[in-house]
Amino acid sequence: MNSPAAESPWGRLIAVIGARRRELSVLLAYVVLLIVLAVTAPRFFRADPIRALLVSNSSVLVAAVGMTMVILCRQIDISIGSLFSVCGVTAGLLARMGLPMPLVALGTLAAGAILGAINGLFVAGLRLPSIVATLATMVVLRESLRYAREGEFVRDLPSSFQWFGQGQALGQSAVVAIAAAVFVVFAWSLANVTLGRAVLAVGSDPEAARLAGIPPRGVVFGVFTLMGLLAGLAALLNAIRFADVDPGSGGGLELQVIAAVVVGGTAVTGGRGSLIGTLIGVALLGSIGPALVFLDAKPQWEKAVQGLIILAAVATDALDRQER
Amino acid sequence: MATAEGLDPVAAETRSRAPRLAVLPLLLLSEIVVFSLIGTNFFTMANAYEILRLSVEIGLLAVALTPVITTGGIDLSVGSLMGLSAVVFGKLWRDMGAPIPVAIAGTLGCGAVAGSINGVLITRGKIPPLIVTLGTYSLARGLAEGLTGGVDNFTHFPPSFLALGQGYLAWGAPTQAPLFAVVAILFWMLLHRMAIGRGLSAIGYSAEGARHAGLPVERWVALVYILSGLTASLAAVVYASRLGQAKADAGTGYELAAITAVVLGGTSIFGGRGSVHGTLLGLFAIVILQIGPRLADLPAELAGVATGVILLVAIGLDRRQPAGPRPQFPLSQSETLVVKNSQVAVICGAILAAAAINLAGNAYLARALVRERAQAPPGSTEGSPRAALREHPPLTIAMMPKSKGNAYFIACRKGAEEAAAELGVTLLWDGPTDPDPAKQNEVVDAWITRGVDVIAVAVENREGVSSVLRKARERGIKVITWDADADPDARDFFVNQATPEGIGRALMDNAARILGGKGSFAIITASLTAGNMIAWQKCIEARRSEKYPNITMASLRPCDDLQKKAFDETTTVLNSNPAVKLFMAICSPAVPGAAEAVKQSGRTDVKVIGIGLPNDSKRYVHEGITDCVVLWNTRDLGYLTVQAAVGLARGDLKPGAVRYSAGRLGELRIEGTDILLGQPYLFTKDNIDQFDF
Repeated sequence: MNSPAAESPWGRLIAVIGARRRELSVLLAYVVLLIVLAVTAPRFFRADPIRALLVSNSSVLVAAVGMTMVILCRQIDISIGSLFSVCGVTAGLLARMGLPMPLVALGTLAAGAILGAINGLFVAGLRLPSIVATLATMVVLRESLRYAREGEFVRDLPSSFQWFGQGQALGQSAVVAIAAAVFVVFAWSLANVTLGRAVLAVGSDPEAARLAGIPPRGVVFGVFTLMGLLAGLAALLNAIRFADVDPGSGGGLELQVIAAVVVGGTAVTGGRGSLIGTLIGVALLGSIGPALVFLDAKPQWEKAVQGLIILAAVATDALDRQER
Repeated sequence: MATAEGLDPVAAETRSRAPRLAVLPLLLLSEIVVFSLIGTNFFTMANAYEILRLSVEIGLLAVALTPVITTGGIDLSVGSLMGLSAVVFGKLWRDMGAPIPVAIAGTLGCGAVAGSINGVLITRGKIPPLIVTLGTYSLARGLAEGLTGGVDNFTHFPPSFLALGQGYLAWGAPTQAPLFAVVAILFWMLLHRMAIGRGLSAIGYSAEGARHAGLPVERWVALVYILSGLTASLAAVVYASRLGQAKADAGTGYELAAITAVVLGGTSIFGGRGSVHGTLLGLFAIVILQIGPRLADLPAELAGVATGVILLVAIGLDRRQPAGPRPQFPLSQSETLVVKNSQVAVICGAILAAAAINLAGNAYLARALVRERAQAPPGSTEGSPRAALREHPPLTIAMMPKSKGNAYFIACRKGAEEAAAELGVTLLWDGPTDPDPAKQNEVVDAWITRGVDVIAVAVENREGVSSVLRKARERGIKVITWDADADPDARDFFVNQATPEGIGRALMDNAARILGGKGSFAIITASLTAGNMIAWQKCIEARRSEKYPNITMASLRPCDDLQKKAFDETTTVLNSNPAVKLFMAICSPAVPGAAEAVKQSGRTDVKVIGIGLPNDSKRYVHEGITDCVVLWNTRDLGYLTVQAAVGLARGDLKPGAVRYSAGRLGELRIEGTDILLGQPYLFTKDNIDQFDF
């Protein structure tokens, strides 16, 4: 296309494309989906559907930000679905005890952080493999919650619970704004703050990171605690959309979030990936369901389409690597 | 599986790459001792065989996953592949008319193809196995649902095929046991007695190193994924014959159970270290943990919690062993273990002790309660001979909901407990906690082993559970179905709260009233594969096409029994199709979910109706968003079921009766073998506040 002269604007553009081609290929897939929608179902681009999409994916995005950190560190956390459910129920129960909403929020975040820290202790402290440790905590949390709640909704919440007691319009904006703020802060810190660089360093090569003065186990512990905190925040953002709390709300969330992160180009081998990619991954996977409704597709094919998109996204990655 | 490792000349070498298994046999032994002490009929041959039968499908997946994980890979797609294979098997046999052996061969071929797709993407595409199989996990389940619409259920297999999964060999051993033994031995030979097994370990330690050593890394890695796919489809065939049905939801969640068994068995999740006999020990530890609490009348959730704790303990203890090089795991490479051994041991000991105390406390409590109940009212005088033999004279009624974590069944349970207290009988309440259609069979099997007087089941899938209910009747246990029926010859009576036709008619008539006879509506259902949902949808559609041709059903969306998903689906339909003026939410979390979505959309011209609990809907009914909900008095349903069960056991309720006096409910009509609770009840603005469930 052009000579790869690094100095020219073209060259710089190509360099950027080269560095970001994983994200760009997913973005391309998303754009194709949007074009198909624009042609066949222009209703998709009205304000209401877009607002609904933003609000319902805000909590997924917050959880995915945490999961990106975890995967960048070469770890994985499959307990977040259970953790999400537990935090949602915690928020409901705290609100029903009559605590003011700021305390409810604080308590929920604390519960998430503590559960995340327990995962961190198992992984960084006891050095258990993260996939096994979080598999175990997933089962323990899920079954304990079932034992305690038996699937019953947390009902009779005070009116200050839904939308933090603000109106629906304000509440929806708040949910989206909080998720956006979390995303921006983390995306910026990952590249520009020492701690963010430390996460990438540990994920790339823990031994080199250690020699460079970064404590890998401390970073891993911190990342799991952060994951718990963010899962708690996600649960809170999800719970306040409703008048009751559903104790099953986190079911299947872990795979949804992991899929969004890997589709977004974060390597499960650690050290490589970006939050921008995660954002596109969340947007793509979150749009498929509604898009199929707008396209009048049969619901039974939805999972198959989702699987194909995950495979297609990772296959481009593989082709890309073979070319190099 | 016997392991003769000590006799082997290369044992010393093998030991270095085989996991240490000292903890696991000990764990297994202590499980057996604990449950023999607190469980009823746990330490019997019949129970041992039942444990074996339930282990087969997850066991097949687990032994096939062992070499996969030994190479440092993972296969998340095996559970979904079971669903796809079951559907392919059903299609080949029923729709294409292939004889059973040909259909089985075709299914195995499909499994091998699916496995080779995994293998090719992983070896040629060089994509991490976690991601590839995450994709095929969605894809395989999606194809299975797409091919059948989620609805199609293949049943009525010939008896010779069903014998594979339900029959008995000499000495009462289950038919599928030899098959499992053969597969397990083959995988054991592959991993422990063949050069390739050593090669797989080498690949797990370092794929690069193995390649330099001249091993055909790509070919061998692809092979283990093909074997994994092949075995998953074999598991699907066994599953189909055990349940007598093949459906898209076969094997849901089995991948995690199988991975847990493998990891518990000492196979390193990072590869390099693995053993099939360890996997088998891990498998039995898990299955016993599932069955034991049922025989000891402990809640099933404890089994889940205990599985998680034991997994942590076993892996924690395993960490003490000096492991091989860990290619992916960053934390342990350079740092030395200081006092961690003792710390790990102390923590694990504490967890184990806490679990034991908890278990013992629960068992004591359960026993004490049983004794208390036994003393309070006089027990039955003419109980079945089985009852007389056991230590508790009062009747034991075992009652199963479709799923435990569901507010609807919690309300039923309150009524059931009320009747049990009134009549002085022991009530066992247990059921599936996860969406696996085979779970009900396992609970009934455990109850047969334990010995109860009456089993009352709210049937989740008819063909599947009927076979095991027949078995219960053969053993002299009375069987009642409630909420949803099994095959008529598999039970004595059915407590009929409302027929699907009654529900369909009530919903559709109200929909027509609200829509004014024309327009379109959408249905929010729990899942595309749930049996009762499908029955209701059919009856709604039948009523619509018969009486209201001007009304159309615009959309059918599954919500996975989640309020949040019901909300999102409703919002999407509202936005995509403004002509939809009515939502029919036919599972209980969907009613408040859909109503909240309509409320937040600000559309006042859209209404919600559905099948749900009054308590969930009160707010929305008063706000005028939800017009009405259809349900029966669930508390009465539980109450009547226990009343009928006790009547049946004491001989007050005999076949051919036309009336039955059920405590506070008074005289109820019996039609054939259906005990009728009454018509479905319509909860509206005017009456909903009078109910609390």
